[in-house]
Amino acid sequence: MGNASILLVDNRKAIIESFRKSFSEIEVKHTLFSAANENEAWSMLDGSQKLSPIPKIILIDVNRTKNEGIQFLNSIRNHTDLKSILVFVITDSENEINKAAALNLNIAGYIPMSFESQTLNSFVSVLNEYWNIIEFSSQK
Amino acid sequence: MNQKLVNILLVEDDEVDVMNVKRAFSKNNIMNPLFVAGNGVEALEMLENHIIPLPKIIILDINMPKMNGIEFLKIMRENEKLKNISVFVMTTSNEDSDKINAYNLNVAGYILKPLSFEKFLTSVATLKNFWQLCEL
Repeated sequence: MGNASILLVDNRKAIIESFRKSFSEIEVKHTLFSAANENEAWSMLDGSQKLSPIPKIILIDVNRTKNEGIQFLNSIRNHTDLKSILVFVITDSENEINKAAALNLNIAGYIPMSFESQTLNSFVSVLNEYWNIIEFSSQK
Repeated sequence: MNQKLVNILLVEDDEVDVMNVKRAFSKNNIMNPLFVAGNGVEALEMLENHIIPLPKIIILDINMPKMNGIEFLKIMRENEKLKNISVFVMTTSNEDSDKINAYNLNVAGYILKPLSFEKFLTSVATLKNFWQLCEL
């Protein structure tokens, strides 16, 4: 795919920084935006901070909250302009209930991940290669 | 994902393409059981009547006789037992409308079939690496 924007939702500043570093080291050509929580993310998708164009990809650890993450994904899937976004759940904790709920919402992948910088690079590089073989519509 | 070897269903009407997927799987050491349906109608029959074990992954062509990939996806997503299967579109169709429809039905990826087998091998290798990251 061409250059797209990717929205990362995580309430840990250190994780967001690790992703930024990883994106830059691997030379991911897509633009990374970040939100500290679901509310902030929603305002970037359909509120006062709305990004244009809408991100094609969301990365979120739904296990940081009890069920706000899943509710957020649910709202995306029920929104005409947002429902087609590719969602990758990335997480360093286990939660079978959230996993089943996320898979039912047709996420593109549920990925258990280590956020340590060396391993993160290998995860991001596999993801990046995958993003590079998939096509998106040219519609904004 | 690899250790469990989930079942994969390929929905594809072109026999040459079926052969290419089989060859690419074998060259990339993808050992998952692979089932093949020739079109959407056949795939639905296989899934709804439990003719094959439920796959976790479907590789779906778009342009097929009887029922095309998009029609198949629509019906699948409305079926409680089938709706959460991961679908990867693999097609020669570069139509924007097909991409929009496929992503609206939440496919995990829309992949254009490369013209050369070498490039196709690389795409399948990339898919394999991605599948290995994911829990299904």
